[in-house]
Amino acid sequence: MTTLDARPTIAAEAPDNYLTFRRGLLSWLFTLDHKRIGVMYLFAALASFFVGGVMALLVRTKLLFPGEVAWMTADQYNKAFTLHGAIMVFLVIIPSIPAALGNFVLPIMLGAKDVAFPRLNLFSFYLWMLGAICAVWSLIAGGFDTGWTFYTPYSSTSQAGGVIPVLVGVFILGFSSIFTGINFVVTIHKLRPPGMTWFRMPLFLWALYATAIIQVLATPVLGITVALLVIERAFNIGIFDPSMGGDPVLFQHFFWFYSHPAVYIMILPGMGIISEIISVHSHRHIFGFRFIAFSSIAIAIFSFLVWGHHMFTSGQSPLMNVLFSAITFSVAIPSAVKVFNWLATLYKGSISLNTPMLYGLSFIFLFTIGGLTGIPLAVLSTDIHLHDTYFVVAHFHYVMMGSALIAMIGGLHHWWPKMFGVMYSEFWGKIACALVFVGFNLTFFTQFMLGSQGMPRRYYAYDGTSAGIPGYVEGMAETFRIYHHISTGGSYIMALGFVITGIYLLHSLFAGRKAPANPWGGASLEWQCTSPPPHDNFSKTPRVGDCYDFSAVHWDEKQQGYVVDADAHASSATSGKGH
Amino acid sequence: MTVLNSITSFLAQTAADPAAAASTSAPVEPTSIKSTEFWMPAGASNFAAEVDWVFHFINWINVFFFVLVVAIMCYFVWKYRQKGREVYARGPNHNLPLELGWTILPTIIVVVIFFMGFKGYVSMRTPPADAYQIDVTAQQWSWQFKYPNGATSADLYVPAGKPVKLVMRSNDVLHSLYIPDFRVKQDVVPGRYTTLWFQADAATGEETYHRLFCTEYCGKDHSRMNQRVYVLGEVQFSDWVTKQGRWLEELAVKNPGDASILWKVGGPRLYGRCASCHTIDGAPGTGPSWGNYDGSGDVWDRIQAGAVHKVDGGKPIQDFIGPGKQYETPEAYLRASILNPGEHVVSNYGNVMPTFKGQLRDAEVDVLIDMMKNLKDKDGKPNFDAKGRFIGSMGPAPAGSE
Repeated sequence: MTTLDARPTIAAEAPDNYLTFRRGLLSWLFTLDHKRIGVMYLFAALASFFVGGVMALLVRTKLLFPGEVAWMTADQYNKAFTLHGAIMVFLVIIPSIPAALGNFVLPIMLGAKDVAFPRLNLFSFYLWMLGAICAVWSLIAGGFDTGWTFYTPYSSTSQAGGVIPVLVGVFILGFSSIFTGINFVVTIHKLRPPGMTWFRMPLFLWALYATAIIQVLATPVLGITVALLVIERAFNIGIFDPSMGGDPVLFQHFFWFYSHPAVYIMILPGMGIISEIISVHSHRHIFGFRFIAFSSIAIAIFSFLVWGHHMFTSGQSPLMNVLFSAITFSVAIPSAVKVFNWLATLYKGSISLNTPMLYGLSFIFLFTIGGLTGIPLAVLSTDIHLHDTYFVVAHFHYVMMGSALIAMIGGLHHWWPKMFGVMYSEFWGKIACALVFVGFNLTFFTQFMLGSQGMPRRYYAYDGTSAGIPGYVEGMAETFRIYHHISTGGSYIMALGFVITGIYLLHSLFAGRKAPANPWGGASLEWQCTSPPPHDNFSKTPRVGDCYDFSAVHWDEKQQGYVVDADAHASSATSGKGH
Repeated sequence: MTVLNSITSFLAQTAADPAAAASTSAPVEPTSIKSTEFWMPAGASNFAAEVDWVFHFINWINVFFFVLVVAIMCYFVWKYRQKGREVYARGPNHNLPLELGWTILPTIIVVVIFFMGFKGYVSMRTPPADAYQIDVTAQQWSWQFKYPNGATSADLYVPAGKPVKLVMRSNDVLHSLYIPDFRVKQDVVPGRYTTLWFQADAATGEETYHRLFCTEYCGKDHSRMNQRVYVLGEVQFSDWVTKQGRWLEELAVKNPGDASILWKVGGPRLYGRCASCHTIDGAPGTGPSWGNYDGSGDVWDRIQAGAVHKVDGGKPIQDFIGPGKQYETPEAYLRASILNPGEHVVSNYGNVMPTFKGQLRDAEVDVLIDMMKNLKDKDGKPNFDAKGRFIGSMGPAPAGSE
């Protein structure tokens, strides 16, 4: 009995795949193929990551010096950290896993030919590009220095010329996110092949589904919020202006009502990727499938109830503070339990330390720190001391960068052979992962101490200047300098790791070894088509099995890859009751 | 030499260059209290012990779980490493008791921790009824603390052993008052009052101080709103607050023959609040320098008849100054610039200056105007250095400036 992946996968003899299906720039610009759209999103997000990363390096380099420096004014510094945050949040982290990896993988993993609304998908991509163009426009208009959080009244009165353009960009990017969310929800509901019940669906898809719910429900609030801020700036209607009866703290409520669920848009798909990576590279059925699946939905729901924990010192009433603090723990517990489930998946596994797995293990390490350090921030009396200090900066970098971004890079390495049909250098992959891991911890662990010792965030200088007199509050530089030096050193190491990653990934596109259909031994449907996949993913309806059952996965020496015995795989699933 | 010493030590109370103070036999520049611990700064308020206890309790629980997770991860990765290519591994997919256990135990732990934080927080939000109240005004980019007797100060002085309540408001954007050693923080919002309270029992005297920061991003000089917090014993505090409330009057009373002392000594002290936007020597800043920045002379020269200074996008300032015009005298214009700065904006500068109405007494405004009139002495030499310190000739030794 033939299996889908018995066809040879050497490129010279390979049938047409989605990359070669039609050629030319226009065939990409007007493509309706979710895989091509995913690839375009990927390169766009990675380019934005590079720009946002340069901003971060500028900020970290300035912080080597406690006082004023000739080569960067306070105004430029404020614009640099603002731009770093805005680019990373709106152009990189929120879109990258759902829109880049998700777009590519979701239909194939589901067993469909494409998403439910391919034109909407392309439109989402063009909205992203339009949002990015608005960001560039905002730089030309003079930049913006409000912080990525745009708190009023500073953001409604700042003299910087780029505020309205970037807010317009954020509004447009919001729609990109909403439409992607709608697309994924409908695709998962309506395009599952026969046999793909909810409980046979891989956990990455559960994660994308939960993410899509948040994208659709929360992002409109961001749109309204930035629209109100644009109107406030342009027409001074006074919603956020106390002299006209408005309330500046109201902005914070509007903003965080979206932005807290947004952080779960960032992390949930990452957790989905980790479920895939840990399971595949341990060749072991995921532990606690149902719990992990339900916890994604629970996190999505609870994420809407905790936004006030960003506002404990804002002047919000003590009663609200107490409620938000209590509810925040409801989101923490499912996340913690996922970590235990992943550890249990490693138990009695057969673990191969490929680059994707190294990123997966890094995720567990870094997410544990990130999640645990959320606790002193959720606890009221300690948060009063830690809020708006570097402790918060460290916490959110551990969860947004050390977890979500690391998961994204891990997923990129996991699916790279599938996406481009080539293998990258394992040697350099491991080196780069180590550099990123070590560099990341040096950069951000020190910031926990910086924060608990009292260093506020968003500070250009830490020389104790007051009224133009440096050193008026003395000793600050002595207290904080060592941490800033280590942190900056770590950031350069991390940057080196990313640069190396970019180099070997790009190199693989030109000179990488051809990839087999299933280099890692996965059992979900995307591993049962060629690498790269054909234009329409599946020429025959795929046969659905238990995507975490590796009993029918075997190494094929000729292909130098794994092969799934589709009959055995499908039948083993139907004999069981699912998960 | 004695005259110089007294002036220098008096100025050292406000915002003086440490090097200048140290170069004479004046008292040593005060130092900030340093942390002696790895995680937390020195605890100096009634909240510090409890906050630190909760923080360290959480920290140790975190360390425990982190070590547990990482150790298990490393052990499993080593023990269950792949051997050979045929790799299907069988292991459990469920274990209900384990899953329940590792859900319920963390839940119990976080509930306990939540209550600890809740308890500490309730205490932070309930100031005693007899707390000593200090009004706080934050603006871009300075603080002002106002005491019940009307005394104002750029640094925060508090009485030791008594509860202190800060009633705070902002003049412009969001700021946040943070004293790490006290473990207190609260945003300062325009258009309303927010409060925080604490009690500091250990006096710092005037030789050491705690650090106070603005910790809500507020624009260009957000990182340059640092101030000192002095905790003074009962007698020392009441002396200070009395003297602070009458510093200008005392200066005048003790130097009856020399009115210029007010702007020579008082001017630099008040100038500290202007310094973040207005330089004295012509250097560029957020606001027009008091010195000569465009060739048309210093601030007093620029508003005399015949000068070419422009406001409001190109109208000459003389349109507004003179008998029968909006401001009878140049002094009246300067006064309006301080109390109603948006009325006329100097060309090429933005309308960003906050009003100082309510923050400066009339006598203090007069002192600032006199200082602006006397930026140069009669020979044209500058009376003030770039930091606003008086460098001209003092005349007879001033009394009462200790």
